[in-house]
Amino acid sequence: MHWTLRGPACALVASIAVGLAACGEREQNNSGEIRAAVTSFPDSLDPALAYTGEALQALWVVYTPLLSYAHAEGVAGTQIVPGLARALPKISADGKTYRLRLRKGLKYSDGRAVKASDFEHSVKRILNLESADTSYFERIVGAGAYLQSGRVRGDISGIETDDRTGAITISLEEPYGSFSNVLAMTFGAVVPGDTPFENQTKRPPPGVGAYKLANVRVNRGFELVKAAGFDVGDMPRARLDTISIEVVKNRGRQTQSVIRNELDYMTDPPAPDQLRSVRDRFAGKRYREFVTNSTYFFFLNHRLQPFSKKAVRQAVNYALDERALVRVFGGLLEPSCNFLPPRLAGYEKIEPCTYGDPDAPPDLGRARQLVKQAGAEGEEVTVYGTEEPEAKGAAEYFADVLSQIGLKGSPRIIPAANYYATIGNRKTRAQAGFANYFQDFARATTFFSIVDGAAIADTNSTNFGNIDDPQIDAALARADRNPRAAAVAKDYAAVDRRLLEEAHLVPYGHRELSVFFSDRIDFDECTAWHPVYNLDYTSLCLK
Amino acid sequence: MDEARHALEPATGDDPWRLALRRLRANRVAIGFGALFAVLLALSLAAPLWAHVAGTTPSRNHLADTIVIDGQRRDVVTEDRVPIGPTWRAKYFLGADGNGRDVAVRLLYGARNSLFIGITATLISVLLAVMLGLLAGYLRGWVDAVVSRALDVVWAFPVLLLGIALGVALARDGLRLGPLSISGGSKWIPTLIIGVVGAVYLARPLRGLVLSLREQDFVEAARAQGAGPLRIMLGELLPNLASTILVFVPLLVANAILLEGALSFLGAGVRPPDPSWGTMIGDGVALLTSAPHLMIVPGVMLVATVLALNVLGDGVRAALDPRAKVRVGR
Amino acid sequence: MLRFIARRLAGMLAVLFAVSVLTFLIFAVIPDGAPEDRMAGPTASPGEVAAVRREWGFDKPLYVQYARTMTKIFTGDVVSYVDRTNVVEEIGRGAPRTFSLAIGAAILWVAGGIALGLFGAARAGRATDRLITVLALIGVSMPVFWLGALASHYLGFEAGIFPDGGYAEIGRHGLLEWLWHLVLPWSVLAVVLIGVYSRVLRSNLLDALHADYVRTARAKGLSEGAVLRRHALPNALIPIVTLWGLDFGAVLGGGAVLTESVFDLQGVGQYFADSVGRLDVPPVLAVTMLGTFFIVAVNTIVDIAYAALDPRIRL
Repeated sequence: MHWTLRGPACALVASIAVGLAACGEREQNNSGEIRAAVTSFPDSLDPALAYTGEALQALWVVYTPLLSYAHAEGVAGTQIVPGLARALPKISADGKTYRLRLRKGLKYSDGRAVKASDFEHSVKRILNLESADTSYFERIVGAGAYLQSGRVRGDISGIETDDRTGAITISLEEPYGSFSNVLAMTFGAVVPGDTPFENQTKRPPPGVGAYKLANVRVNRGFELVKAAGFDVGDMPRARLDTISIEVVKNRGRQTQSVIRNELDYMTDPPAPDQLRSVRDRFAGKRYREFVTNSTYFFFLNHRLQPFSKKAVRQAVNYALDERALVRVFGGLLEPSCNFLPPRLAGYEKIEPCTYGDPDAPPDLGRARQLVKQAGAEGEEVTVYGTEEPEAKGAAEYFADVLSQIGLKGSPRIIPAANYYATIGNRKTRAQAGFANYFQDFARATTFFSIVDGAAIADTNSTNFGNIDDPQIDAALARADRNPRAAAVAKDYAAVDRRLLEEAHLVPYGHRELSVFFSDRIDFDECTAWHPVYNLDYTSLCLK
Repeated sequence: MDEARHALEPATGDDPWRLALRRLRANRVAIGFGALFAVLLALSLAAPLWAHVAGTTPSRNHLADTIVIDGQRRDVVTEDRVPIGPTWRAKYFLGADGNGRDVAVRLLYGARNSLFIGITATLISVLLAVMLGLLAGYLRGWVDAVVSRALDVVWAFPVLLLGIALGVALARDGLRLGPLSISGGSKWIPTLIIGVVGAVYLARPLRGLVLSLREQDFVEAARAQGAGPLRIMLGELLPNLASTILVFVPLLVANAILLEGALSFLGAGVRPPDPSWGTMIGDGVALLTSAPHLMIVPGVMLVATVLALNVLGDGVRAALDPRAKVRVGR
Repeated sequence: MLRFIARRLAGMLAVLFAVSVLTFLIFAVIPDGAPEDRMAGPTASPGEVAAVRREWGFDKPLYVQYARTMTKIFTGDVVSYVDRTNVVEEIGRGAPRTFSLAIGAAILWVAGGIALGLFGAARAGRATDRLITVLALIGVSMPVFWLGALASHYLGFEAGIFPDGGYAEIGRHGLLEWLWHLVLPWSVLAVVLIGVYSRVLRSNLLDALHADYVRTARAKGLSEGAVLRRHALPNALIPIVTLWGLDFGAVLGGGAVLTESVFDLQGVGQYFADSVGRLDVPPVLAVTMLGTFFIVAVNTIVDIAYAALDPRIRL
């Protein structure tokens, strides 16, 4: 059944996936080609590996996993719905077994039939390719043994599939409340059973989705082409014939191209010096801003001076002026006193703010006192950041703040391509730096994964500050077992508060992103913002 | 500037230096631009004074501050990151940059850094070039072979690429030469790089000059009197190199300043948050639409300084050695 | 003559070798942690990392690493540390852009320089000559990156007369688009050098015009114009040709990096700058070798040409 979008009210109705007649059906243009631009090529176009926003935004409409997110805006878009599976999984009483069944007659974009055993193969690829979120899948029984055996074609005991009936049964070692969310991530996308165990970015495998990948030129661009045979429940189909995505490194030129209608869509916000003019001229007509579920913060390395001292960490939190950072982001930042973003179960606004009203000037005097008392005056601190204008500005600002409270801050700007590998490497000895986290899925647990002691690693660590708080670790271990996020909301709220009280890091807000389109796109009817994947490509259509 | 050549041909036995000075002084244009350079130098030295008047430092971020102008309270940096333009007062005389820093203060400190690097690098170049030119030209043999080949290699290296590669490589963890340790963020890194690169332009002509000088009578005489190579090199040859060196110096400084600007613009020279003309131009490019003064002002100062040095250099050349073919930079 | 050429070529190879070693060392001595971690990527298994380390020889002494990397470059097999793209292919893609920029600008600056130099020499000492000298000096003092950014922004971005950056491939967009995208970069790159060339030509011409053989020609009754054209100009041009060769080699060898970056032409120079920032050694090594090759090759050709014209130089 076709699904048409008509405003937020319709989106809510649509997400229930019944009786869409109420929305009415306006004649939509269902063809055409558009050109989009990204600032950097996706880290990978292989669903088992892709992790960056650019990648996921494209892959979501190309590879459908067993479960998926509703194609809706706002909170409705965070709801999990069946993807390739017929229905949501039946979870056993002990929370350790998930039963699903594939829909009948599913075909990949190249025409081949989808088999249940393809899912097990897809999981084997994730485990072998050791991607960023492999750890979620290591919770499956037998995953460890499979990896140990070293035989890529070996069996994972915790996954049982039946190609005849399409049944899939997954057993977990321990109950994990967010496992349905894990199954909805693009990592869990089902690809054919003969897909090699290598990064397939140059020749991505076929998937089941509204679009398919074509014309992949690494570092330069790729295309999303309408997948004609796509028909899965009421998942939306492609409305455009081709979306060609090019890498244009210069945001200023992207902005100008969209203004002149030479480019139809840019994924990043407009260049900082054109923000005001774009807002003035196009807000509501071709341009919209959205708050994302993300958190932007400065990490503080607990294993090095001076941030091993709680007093110094608190001093920094006192001294930070969120109004300044809002300006660094050109207004595309929602200041906050919490670590968790507001639209998640477990968010409880911390009032009054632990370290002073974010709308008022910060208490520098108190900060200086704390630094002096801790004996950290004059300590040199390097603040890491990337070359992107917002990150650079934030790092330079933060280094200056440190200098104002008695430390000696100096920024160190490194290219974005190396950044996370550098600050995640213990040998770098990074004392502080710019960091952010966008949700992997819409649960508080994903945000707390980076402050969990278990995430500390020597290389490619995601816990940049080496936060190892037993209270937090214990609370998270308890809460993560429960599949119902609402039930453990209080635990998450407590962890959020503790992060601030112990000043384990310096959070300052949640990022706002934007969509900016050319005149050709039907802005009112055909542009949907998805809370997990940003722009929903399947919603795009021409006037 | 070529006119001086014809007007003041040497009379008999006049001291060449005094002659040169007279020629130079007659060259009003060169003197004028020399004065311009002196003014720019003085301004850069006055940087701390201006910082005191403006009440800030070159790296202090004033993102959330406001300022009252003509009774109106205005943001130093608005919420959509548009910094205030020139106020023509003590605070934010030339406006603020994207992080709320005072542009005028940064400009003067930037001038200090750029001029420091330019002049010091040139001194290093001259020192190196004199050493290499003297050793290679006078001692000849294998010393000359080694030095000439080394110069060939550095000469063949694409200058900018070498500078960028070294600048980035050394900026990470600094440089350690035996007991000497320089941190990655230090200004000495670009200074040394530019100094070494610049030496090549001067070393070759000096070597050629030494080669021709060593055959002359006064050197023979000194050798006959029992003077060792060191005394000959420093006592007899070096003074004769002076006029050539002087001709090159202004142009070497100009080239060094341009090279530092290029390296800093690409992020391989002066490191943030230290200002230099190159870094300010680089920062300013991102905000060209909303705040063009951020890029234009440091650029104008850079051009003015280099122009002054070029004109002065021309004048010095005309005064000392009008026939000299001086070539620095690409 | 043949021996001279052979010696020159041998010297060229020696210099290339020395430059490659120097470049390699610059990056080898950076304590960067293990490059194999970065090469294999953040999502690699320990097995993959070990494989990369063995393949590139990071566990072996420096000279082994150097040998392996250079072999890979010459067999065209070399891949970037950061994203595993083939370096030679990327250079191949950027080369036409860098060539287009360098050749066009070179023609522009030599033509402009000669024209202005002639004009200045003809009007020596008068107001127009002084004006040209002043303009030439200002041109020489301009930083290419600043002028380029200003031109690209005001003439491209704001006024829309030219595109504000980017490169149009002839094959895909046609000759006119290609030209239109290159006018600004050519002009900016040429402005700086026109100044230099016009002054050199002017001073050479003035020298030549005062030389003995020219006085003889004038005495024989030749007109001023003929004197200029047949005697002074050819002699004044010879050093220009050598200079032009050297400068062209230099621009091709890396001087284009600033112009390419400012106008986002995605040529070889920009590829170099991006790679250096990411400490990506293989592209840096390959581009440096290429750039040096051009510089040295042009120098050698110029030397050989001079030797062919003047036998005394071969000694």
